[in-house]
Amino acid sequence: MFFLQLRSELAKLFGKKRTYIGFGAFLLSQNVMLLAFRYSNWQKGTARLLEGNGYVATEFISTLTVAVLMLIPQILLLMPLYVMLVGGDLVAKEAEDGTLRMILSRPISRFRLLFTKWLTGVIFAAILVVSLGAMAVFFAGCWFEWKGMFIFIPIPGGQTIFNVMSAGEGLKYYALAHVILAVNACTMLSLAFMFSCFNMKPAAATILALSFLFLSVVMEGMPFFEDWKEFAITHHFRAWVLVFAKPMPLAQIAEALCVLAGVNVTAFVIGATHFHMRDIKS
Amino acid sequence: MIQLRGVSKQFGARWAVRDLDLSVPRGEIFGLLGHNGAGKSTAIGMMLGQVWPTTGELRICGHDITRDRAKALQRVGAIFETPVFYDYLSGWKNLQILSHYTAPTPPERIQKIVEWVGLTGREHDKVSKYSHGMRTRLALAQALLPDPELLILDEPSDGLDPEGIHEMRLTIQRLQKELSLTILLSSHLLNEVEQLCTRIAVLNQGKKVFEGTLADAKQTKHWVRLRVGDFARATASLQSEKLITDTRNGSLVALADGVKTDSLVRRLVALDIPVFEVAQEEETLESFYLNLMQDSRAAKPTTLDSRPSTSA
Repeated sequence: MFFLQLRSELAKLFGKKRTYIGFGAFLLSQNVMLLAFRYSNWQKGTARLLEGNGYVATEFISTLTVAVLMLIPQILLLMPLYVMLVGGDLVAKEAEDGTLRMILSRPISRFRLLFTKWLTGVIFAAILVVSLGAMAVFFAGCWFEWKGMFIFIPIPGGQTIFNVMSAGEGLKYYALAHVILAVNACTMLSLAFMFSCFNMKPAAATILALSFLFLSVVMEGMPFFEDWKEFAITHHFRAWVLVFAKPMPLAQIAEALCVLAGVNVTAFVIGATHFHMRDIKS
Repeated sequence: MIQLRGVSKQFGARWAVRDLDLSVPRGEIFGLLGHNGAGKSTAIGMMLGQVWPTTGELRICGHDITRDRAKALQRVGAIFETPVFYDYLSGWKNLQILSHYTAPTPPERIQKIVEWVGLTGREHDKVSKYSHGMRTRLALAQALLPDPELLILDEPSDGLDPEGIHEMRLTIQRLQKELSLTILLSSHLLNEVEQLCTRIAVLNQGKKVFEGTLADAKQTKHWVRLRVGDFARATASLQSEKLITDTRNGSLVALADGVKTDSLVRRLVALDIPVFEVAQEEETLESFYLNLMQDSRAAKPTTLDSRPSTSA
């Protein structure tokens, strides 16, 4: 019965055209970035950086290197937007349209309905992240050779992730980074989902969740909050980058994942509690 | 099937429903009347566990809706005013999705219901292509899917054209006749309620101001149309003689119990008041309802409370 309900929620979500906006946006932006990398000074700058550190640039300007370079701006800008757009819709859109009232005239508990919806959102977020990664590799593979991987990602606060690895090893870390990115996406979705459970428009839920992230980024970047940065959710979103560090800081990654899991649970519980107490009216 | 005892709902400082007692036995078509904002939809929301009551007890199909919602709604179907669906999906997919919130439903059952409501041939079209009438049929289909014993219809004819209203009326009659369903019908359309319901309850400002059979509603007073030379003098005299109990609109009088029209005429002739017309006035549901609301607006709580209220 639960799987039937989950299937129904998935059918509703993936039956909507706006669900695919994110996929379309990624497709477009990746190709634009790929062209920019290929035909601008971006590629030359990367080659200079590699050669300056004693590596043969042609060996590391590869599918995986370019895929990761393309990922960064999309993860920072597009992923939160599209994940939160869907998260904000999950409950609030149904309440706005009136279909929620029809569902709740049936013997399904509010908690179960919410859990099914949240799980649907989690599946969407995971699919979006996997598609993002797969598309990045596919399109980068059309233009660049399958060779070693080079990572250079400066992190706010002074730390820089610099690493070179074989293609096989790189692919393994690339996949692991996407597992963590999926957790990030789920957390973003949970935030929007939480606001969506309150009595508000879907757009308001999305905007509030985005504002929450924005606030976290701003606070994290202020020197005054240096000692408090662990409280900023965006600080923990960077765990995916740490996967490429040498040696991999497992404890730091595990800590970030635990915090994100906690945020997910907290957001769900707050949303579910409010939704349970709410009166559903036309 | 429906038992409400002392049910109230407060939104902020406003009482949407106040101290509502209601009883709908099995097999009945029960009408819930009231103007916009009278508390009908809130009452229905509470019956379906969508709105939490502030006080009181609600039992649906023998189960407490606030504590045992799943059991209470297992065999309940509901239609709300302006049926809404997932427009981007087909009617069939909508039915499949909605049925999954109650119990796994075989395609044969869905097909049977689609045929019953007359949507055969269009069930695989997207709902966005459906007319309002077809959406109403689809709403009825989704309500019938769980094989309900109780059907709650919240203004089902809202937005339908006269032909659609007629069709909906026939469907409700058919539902009761063929499927022996208990139906709670909330409606503004007094004509519809008059033709369908066996019993009614009238809500005003969240309070029940009448509950009883249609016959009760129509026979609360025996009104007589009286056209005489001097209506004021005539009624004053008839009232002092305790022949009438009430007057209305300068032409109607309510006969006291046991009084017939001939007594009235005799008295008026004796007073030398010319009598032009004396005729029994049949009370319609509309006139009953309008008077009830008029009384209510005149803020005469004692009059309202003293009206006959037949609780089952």
